[in-house]
Amino acid sequence: MKFLKYFLIIPLFLNAELVIEITKGSDNPYRIALIPFKGESISAKQANEIVKNDLIRSGEFYIFDEKSLIAYPTNEDDINYSDWRLINADYLLLTTVVESNSGIEAKYEIFDVRKKSKIRSSKVYGVTNNIRQLSHYVSDGIYEAITGIQGVASTKILYVSQSNDFDTPYKLYVADADGANEQLLVTSPEPIISPAWSPDSKKVAYVSFETGIANVYIQDISSGERQSIIKKRCLTCISNEQISSPSWSPNGKYLSLTLYQDGNAEIYIYDIKKRNLTRLTNHYSIDTESKWSPDGRKLMFTSGRSGSPQLYELDLRKLNKKPKRLTFEGNYNAKGSYLPGGEGIVFVHRSSDKFQIAIKYFEDNFVIPLTEAKMDESPSVSPNGNVIIYAINEQNNDILAGVTLSGAKFRLPSAKGQVREPAWSGYLK
Amino acid sequence: MQSAKSLFTISLITMLVVSCSTVQVTEESVKESSIATVEVSSSDTYETKTTAVSTSATVYFDFDKYNLSSRSIQTLRGVISSMKDNPSLTLVLEGHADERGTREYNLALGQRRAESVADYLETRGIDRSRLLIKSYGEESPAVSASNERAWARNRRVEIK
Repeated sequence: MKFLKYFLIIPLFLNAELVIEITKGSDNPYRIALIPFKGESISAKQANEIVKNDLIRSGEFYIFDEKSLIAYPTNEDDINYSDWRLINADYLLLTTVVESNSGIEAKYEIFDVRKKSKIRSSKVYGVTNNIRQLSHYVSDGIYEAITGIQGVASTKILYVSQSNDFDTPYKLYVADADGANEQLLVTSPEPIISPAWSPDSKKVAYVSFETGIANVYIQDISSGERQSIIKKRCLTCISNEQISSPSWSPNGKYLSLTLYQDGNAEIYIYDIKKRNLTRLTNHYSIDTESKWSPDGRKLMFTSGRSGSPQLYELDLRKLNKKPKRLTFEGNYNAKGSYLPGGEGIVFVHRSSDKFQIAIKYFEDNFVIPLTEAKMDESPSVSPNGNVIIYAINEQNNDILAGVTLSGAKFRLPSAKGQVREPAWSGYLK
Repeated sequence: MQSAKSLFTISLITMLVVSCSTVQVTEESVKESSIATVEVSSSDTYETKTTAVSTSATVYFDFDKYNLSSRSIQTLRGVISSMKDNPSLTLVLEGHADERGTREYNLALGQRRAESVADYLETRGIDRSRLLIKSYGEESPAVSASNERAWARNRRVEIK
């Protein structure tokens, strides 16, 4: 299995395409004393960095600088809780990485400084060279033990890059949620947009212009097997109909899509198994960017029916009803996603000449801007609803950035090319 | 077309979750799965052939608009006369948008712009079957800069 080994080693020695930079911590974080992973090994050092960054990026934690640690306890008996109270630490983490011929093992213990007690003791096992993913599981365990919410460090993101590569400038990648460990899913000479995960995170759907006309493809991540959705524009027409904007239903059986029959963008539901289409909208203005609600009962979409792009919602159980308008603030609100709990929506909002990522909770009557750059787009919400990843344009460069609902911010600049259209996977556990 | 490359990703099996009093004790481990890369090559299946006779023109639009200006109509008159002079001529109407706003909405907007041109040509007696309508949204700008002038140049329908 020489071939396999080659690919196992690559992610460790090549720089990842995206390098995370945390630009702002959260406003009211848990204060964590992370005692560095024991050992001088490369693995221990890597694990330390990855876990630290995962925790900061989650937006919920402040991690004490290593130099400001007042002691280096090696086990529970060494911990003097009152010392840690003195520097206002909320939690103390003891961590170890052990490498052996059979693999690698990370052990971590979490201590509540105020209650002076251990709250979690965990082990994660992996194969050697998988220190990165192993570390993400440690981060998620810590996140969950302290916040009570499942962490997202071990989830994945999809994104599109455009480079100067002459033959295939457009590429669709999958990477860890921190941008590292990127792996290529598609290379193409023509643009790719709107990647979307299946709910089980085993398949992706995306729009490719490879035939000269936008069309939606469904691709199995592990086999590479692809299926395209083809609809003839008319019997004698030279081209197929343009199809775009896929969104997977929560049960994985359907895709909502935009078709351009009669020359205008309308929303349809595609039954993946039966391969048939049902039309949902019928309006002379543009209807596109559909997204399923987490319970699968509603479909949100962008429509120009009021004269400017605004978000609307269709109740799939009452299809004869008029779509309900969700946004009224300003003249551009588009590409909405529901929060995983269904309590609100995240979308692109135009405020004067700026396109920002904004959130609106259904019980409130106002829009809260989350970002302040000029051309922010393509927001995608983490499966725990706490982080939003989106695309920004910085000095003519497209890069990815993130913001947490607790106020932390991070960027994922790319070493080469433009990076855009991020899409966050579901939980992979 | 497709080259499958085995790679390692990790999925997790929770082996054991035991609660002993207030301490949560867990053990979990990782296992392998794979990722395949699909290499797409361009297929020009739907491109219309280039004939000896051809015409090309570009018409421009306002932000978030797809109606034709009087200047655009002037431009289209030339297109109409060459289509009438050459009954075998077929044209591609390729709609585009500027980079502002969302990509899918811009794809739909580019499509509407191309449809506006097609609608106008049809009212002037051009059979729709001679027209291939498509949109690139904001994906294929004529000018790659972020200012009003570039945006105005990018909100267009290319007729070719």
